[in-house]
Amino acid sequence: MLAALLRRLFSAVPVLAIVSLITFGLIHMIPGDPAVAIAGLSATPEQISNIRRDLGLDQPVLGQLWRWYANLAHGDLGRSLMMGQPVLDVTLKRLPVTLALASYALVLTLLLGLGSGIVAALKQNTWVDQAAMVLAMVGISLPNFYLGLLMIILFAVELRWLPTGGYVPLSQDPLGWLATSTMPAISLALLQAGLLARITRSTMLEVLRQDYIRTANAKGLPRRLVVLKHALANALIPIVTVIGIVISLLISGSVVTESLFSIPGIGQLLTQAVLNRDYPMVQGGLLVTTALLVLINIGVDTCYALLDPRVRHDG
Amino acid sequence: MNRAFLALLLLPCLASTADAKPFACPRAGGDFVFGQEANFNTLDQMSSATISTRNIAMNIYETLMTRDENNNPILELAEQMTEAPDHLTFTFKLRQGIAFHNGKKMTSADVVASFDRYVKIGNQRSILNNVAGWDAPDPATFVIRMKVAQPTFIESLSSFSVPIVVIPAENRDIPAQQMTSPIGTGPFQLVEAVPGSHVKLKRYDGYQPNTAYEEKTGFGGYKQACLNTVTFRIVTEAGARVAGLKTGELHAVEDLPTKSLPDLKKDPNIAILPLRNWWIQLSSPNTSTPPTNNLMFRRAVQAVLDMDEIMDAASDGNYSLNVGYQYPNQPSYTDAGKETYNIKDPALAKKLLAQSGYGGEPVILLTNKDYPPMYNSALVMQQQLQAVGINAQMKVVDWPTSVQMQSQPDTGWNFFFTGWGTQPALGALATMQFLADPNASYRPKNDKGDPELLAAWNDMNTLPDAKDRQAAFARMQKMALERVYTVPFGSFTKVQGARANVKGFVPFRIPRMSNVWFAN
Repeated sequence: MLAALLRRLFSAVPVLAIVSLITFGLIHMIPGDPAVAIAGLSATPEQISNIRRDLGLDQPVLGQLWRWYANLAHGDLGRSLMMGQPVLDVTLKRLPVTLALASYALVLTLLLGLGSGIVAALKQNTWVDQAAMVLAMVGISLPNFYLGLLMIILFAVELRWLPTGGYVPLSQDPLGWLATSTMPAISLALLQAGLLARITRSTMLEVLRQDYIRTANAKGLPRRLVVLKHALANALIPIVTVIGIVISLLISGSVVTESLFSIPGIGQLLTQAVLNRDYPMVQGGLLVTTALLVLINIGVDTCYALLDPRVRHDG
Repeated sequence: MNRAFLALLLLPCLASTADAKPFACPRAGGDFVFGQEANFNTLDQMSSATISTRNIAMNIYETLMTRDENNNPILELAEQMTEAPDHLTFTFKLRQGIAFHNGKKMTSADVVASFDRYVKIGNQRSILNNVAGWDAPDPATFVIRMKVAQPTFIESLSSFSVPIVVIPAENRDIPAQQMTSPIGTGPFQLVEAVPGSHVKLKRYDGYQPNTAYEEKTGFGGYKQACLNTVTFRIVTEAGARVAGLKTGELHAVEDLPTKSLPDLKKDPNIAILPLRNWWIQLSSPNTSTPPTNNLMFRRAVQAVLDMDEIMDAASDGNYSLNVGYQYPNQPSYTDAGKETYNIKDPALAKKLLAQSGYGGEPVILLTNKDYPPMYNSALVMQQQLQAVGINAQMKVVDWPTSVQMQSQPDTGWNFFFTGWGTQPALGALATMQFLADPNASYRPKNDKGDPELLAAWNDMNTLPDAKDRQAAFARMQKMALERVYTVPFGSFTKVQGARANVKGFVPFRIPRMSNVWFAN
């Protein structure tokens, strides 16, 4: 299993190299350049060309590509053109913010999605099942931006339970973090919880119809044991696949939520970087994010092996 | 002593009255939270022209000279300025007892270092093009030596667009945008800056107010920090800013959406603060490309436009009609060329179109959605042009792309939509540079601008008498409007809001945090 894990880790290297090349190509292909963003709204062409020269943007693109890879080989992701700070430092400051938010949202997704999916499957064709699926559809259909605004009006303006926005780091004040992260996490989680609930329900229904479940029931095993040990354990493989995708979606979906709630995460950082054509920031930030997503996928694969002995032995 | 020197000395005296006392904080303390609409990337004021940086940084830094409430040049860190009779030397006597946020006393060596850094990395270093050098003959004196006399030099030096802020000499060699721990002499000092989230400032207890004044004025004057801390929170979503203002989490915000105003006006805890003349919305033609290379065609376009309709859509109803390139409250304002403005005469437009020989070719309106006013004004203009038979088509890209396309006349566009905000506030000279060579905004053929327009521009820069320079500006504006080198639509009002217990918060080009206090 360790060998398989190492193989997967090594196979990530070409993936990252290709992603970095595509990122470099795409961001440089988009018209416009960072000098415009730095110069501001009413800049004169002279100011813009001064900045372009200062930043080396007047150099040939191939030269810039060579410099990017040469620096990358030394572990240097470059320096943000807009912020003047090393890309790696900025990314490593912002990533934990998004990861904390995504983790909170994942916990909510699992609680809501798995819980309602299992209950819906067990109570198939009852009002409970229908109510759970209607709620799942609402979660899937509501854009998280709109949901966020509705929550601000209800929970912040009307009820005054939560702040309208802002961010308190978890390490600084856990309760403050909880207060500032709850609405963003819910707005992120509802969509994914809806998806997970539907998939959990259908997978559970399939498993619950299997002969071994019928046998377990016939043996007189307690219902809870049948559901949690025999049914859920076997339904988990497709669910874990979906959870892997959900984690990726929670990280990428944070772009909108972070902007709405003024959370200084990686999503907001990369959006701004693209809009400002901050080449090193886009290239480096996406590389780190891609590496993270690759690791998550490897983690999901490892979970398969832990959950299913067949995968473990094949590996 | 010349007139400029006298004026600079007299201004503070005029601001004072015999029995007036300088501003004293009626109440000190509190954490003021301001909801800012745009993210900031850096607080390195010398290398950023963005409003979001200036909003924050100009509460930290100060300059030798700045602008007052009416955008007139005034002294800030200098107490006296003398211009030599040959106009080739400017001598500044620095105010004494000023210390940086790190406790170090400011001397002329710091001013020298600041100019040294600015000329290397300053975003608007061209303002020093005519300067031969600068030095510090003694710790309290700073001297600027000119290569040639430049009657408008003081106007440029006091510009707040990308100001030459005074920093400690040890920060001279910090590369552009890498000033992550800004140290200035202003009333507030940095606590922490988290791009995308917030900036926290605290009162600088060692601040030395400018005793030549009794109150803050513009970027200068007598400033005091009454608040313990100020937090600029980045809130890009307008709905979230409104919500924050309503709950009191934000004590003041900028750019309130019009649709929220009726509700907010009913709230006794909120004061609406309109900031008129925030920017001029306009469109520039591409005079290198048909059909906008044809003056008669451009006049036809000018003739059909209804500026009320355009500005209403662009500004969400917060605007004023305004001829030309300055705001009506400015001394340099002129309505020269007013007969070309807001004609809204479709019959005349059709007649001019027929005379121009327009054959129905596409007219591309280059705009973006990053700035909704630019998109909305293009949309309304498109409908007005189509109504008289012009085949107007929109090309919508993002802002950086549109600027890049505009810089090249052969990229398939006819009208470029933008806004001029800071430059009109700085005065006619800062504004009209957009119409001067090289790279004039109307994209003349082969980048060779209209000689008569350039002659007027030259006069604006070189005539020794201010009245003559103003006349040259009026001439240039009239010419630019008559020859349709730009189509200014009108002026925006930026609507800000504050909680009712916030006192002394007066809208200006930046949210000034000095002389602001909480009533309770």
